[in-house]
Amino acid sequence: MSEQAEEIQPEPVIDLTNAAFAYEGVVALDHVSMQAFPGEAVALIGPNGSGKSTLLRGLLGLLPLADGSLKVFGHQRRPGVTDGIGYLPQQESTEPNFPISLRQVVMMGRYRRIGFWRFARTIDRSAVNEALEMTGLTSRAGARFGSLSGGQQQRGLLARALAAKPRLLLLDEPFNGLDQPNRAALLTTLRELKLRGVSIVVTTHDLDLARDVCDKVLLLAGTQVAFGPTDGVLTLENLQAAFGDVQVEVDEHRVVIPGHDH
Amino acid sequence: MITLDLLLHFWTMPFMVRAVIVLLTLGITAGVVGVFVNLRGLEFLTDGLTHAVFPGIAAGVAFAGAGGLFWGAALAAAAATVFLSLLARRGVSSDAAVAVVLVAMFSVGVVIVSRSHDAAGQLEQLLFGHLFTVSITEVFATAGIGLLAILTVLVTMRSQVMTAFDRDAARAAGYRVTVVDLALNVAIALVVVSASIAVGNLLVIAILIVPGALARVWARRLTSLFAIALSFAVLGGLAGLVGAFTLSVGLDIPVPPGAAIAAVFVAAYLLALLVFVIVRRPISGGLR
Amino acid sequence: MSYFDRALIVITIVGVLTGLVGSLVVLRKRVLFAQALTHATFPGAVIGILLGFSMQLGAVVACALIVGAITLIGRITPGGAGAASGVLLAGGFAAGALAQAFGSSVPVDMTALLFGSVLSVTTMDGALAAVALGLTLLAVVFAGKHIVYAMFDPEGYRGLGYEPATMDALLMVLTTITVVVTMPAVGAILTIALIAAPAAAARALTARLGVMLVIAPTLSVVAGITGLLLSREFSVSAGACIALVATALLGVALVVGRWMPRRLRGEVAA
Repeated sequence: MSEQAEEIQPEPVIDLTNAAFAYEGVVALDHVSMQAFPGEAVALIGPNGSGKSTLLRGLLGLLPLADGSLKVFGHQRRPGVTDGIGYLPQQESTEPNFPISLRQVVMMGRYRRIGFWRFARTIDRSAVNEALEMTGLTSRAGARFGSLSGGQQQRGLLARALAAKPRLLLLDEPFNGLDQPNRAALLTTLRELKLRGVSIVVTTHDLDLARDVCDKVLLLAGTQVAFGPTDGVLTLENLQAAFGDVQVEVDEHRVVIPGHDH
Repeated sequence: MITLDLLLHFWTMPFMVRAVIVLLTLGITAGVVGVFVNLRGLEFLTDGLTHAVFPGIAAGVAFAGAGGLFWGAALAAAAATVFLSLLARRGVSSDAAVAVVLVAMFSVGVVIVSRSHDAAGQLEQLLFGHLFTVSITEVFATAGIGLLAILTVLVTMRSQVMTAFDRDAARAAGYRVTVVDLALNVAIALVVVSASIAVGNLLVIAILIVPGALARVWARRLTSLFAIALSFAVLGGLAGLVGAFTLSVGLDIPVPPGAAIAAVFVAAYLLALLVFVIVRRPISGGLR
Repeated sequence: MSYFDRALIVITIVGVLTGLVGSLVVLRKRVLFAQALTHATFPGAVIGILLGFSMQLGAVVACALIVGAITLIGRITPGGAGAASGVLLAGGFAAGALAQAFGSSVPVDMTALLFGSVLSVTTMDGALAAVALGLTLLAVVFAGKHIVYAMFDPEGYRGLGYEPATMDALLMVLTTITVVVTMPAVGAILTIALIAAPAAAARALTARLGVMLVIAPTLSVVAGITGLLLSREFSVSAGACIALVATALLGVALVVGRWMPRRLRGEVAA
């Protein structure tokens, strides 16, 4: 019976067991245990400094594991190996005045495969075109990246992550400062990716959004507060445990957490 | 022994007395202004300003003789500071543009000098100074311009500190940050002008930057910052003078005094840093 | 080959080099750092000549020392790397002047080191510049895309599994090489004009990286040759003339760039 269960259950894309991450010896996040399967989206929710970005960096292999175990695609995480992972950093990390076109930015997603000694080939170009199409930016491909609106830039960076054809997508606050149309466009893209079997881990402050597109929620506050299906985790008690004395309002199904600015 | 003998009696030589007076005034001026250079992180702007003042110095000397130096320098300094403030006001924050224009002004100076008769010798004197041969008029000019620089900073003292600490807060508190910037730029330019004779255009940067940087290593309060910078600038200057005098007169090695002073300053800074690292645990990665 | 022909060839090589590397330096906002490096070449060259070996070798050693010292001091001291590089810059000039005083038996032409003397460059200087250009071209062709990604979005580049600091270090090496081989022609103080001005001008004229990497070297070569001809015409310092022409080109480019349609600059989709 147990053998049968293993066959039905696909291998988790992410498998964290009691994991802890540290910056220069200081533990920033510990006791994290979670799994994410193909086609699943997991929201990372918690106050500023709760370890959301730390976990993303850990998943990327940028931070060493201080304790526990972390498997991605069934293998123990090794630093510097990012094959199959797409990463969307927070938008502030790009240079606004840089003379570079959207198409060139999206092509950067292919650099891991292109490496140092090769030039872009047809396969790289078609991956770029596909990513542009998927994010609805084909018509803007020739524009300078910095001349695009904030929302378009965000979608452009998502296209860059998609150009690598990832099986796991890590998104750091992708909805910050997005207007309604761009937000809707981003959500559509994410749903389509899930259908294709891509796993998504996304940090966000927006609980509505977590309900909308995510299957599971990992609630963090320097340690793991709760992990599980979205509705089971986003309860008043859990949120108060994570956000401490920050005012948490619950009216009907909306849970609003005010005062999140960077 | 001739060295020691000379050293003991150097205050009986008029040119040495003049040099000491010049260095005292310079030390005080550069100490005060240098603290703000450090607090505001204006090291490279200072470097650029010294280059920009150069054509004024060169033109002043070329067209009006030694006496024209101060006037030419003052004119060039005024032009450079106005230009820099304009750039800042128009939101041009490009390091490249600032660096290029200041170097271009320097080039004008080089062109002027290279047209004159004794180009190489004159250039070297302008670049490295002539502390041993300052005239009494030059002593007064150095002191007067230095006093102006100190006054400029002291008058705007409170707003300078505030702006250095938190630019946006200063603006919110009603200070006109552009004017505050302009005042400091003017003060820096004045020090550059007043120090040109003694240490030369190339080495002004040492006496403007090092005292503030050295004080910053140790001082944790504003008052001690000024105290350390001031006393170091004065003592270091005198030590450099004695060193240059000993080498030049005693051992017959023609060291430009400006170079000796700059060398003493930089060596002292490195030493202070070394002691700091040994005595206290370094602040690892805390300032990024 | 006359000395003037040689000067023309050297200034062309150096122009292409400064235009290419300068573009990267300007985009990475490392102009001030490059300025510190140009100053550091001065004492290095003086000591190199005094000790009887090549001035470029002395300059390279001095640059390496200053890069190391700035990194080290910037890490351990309050006030950061800015103050450290300022102090070292001053130290560089002082060291150069002192070295000359102590080694006064060997004649060192200070003005040539500070403002360059393109008319007296040797075939060796030219060969070194050519080698530097070859190495830089290789680096730009193969690692250029990585350098650009690392400076455009270091966090994203790190997410790719690479270390942006490596590309920063590579750019630092390229900058050092450029500064060192340009110094004999244009001098320790004026080299920064040839690195920063053509690149900034090119950036004002185009929003396309590829186009910028063509315009900047072109402008730099134009500045070099025009400056050289002007200096012969009016018999003034060639280094200063080159720096002034480069600045004038930047001024024109800033004005022209402001009036250019956005489409022509490549700002919006073509």
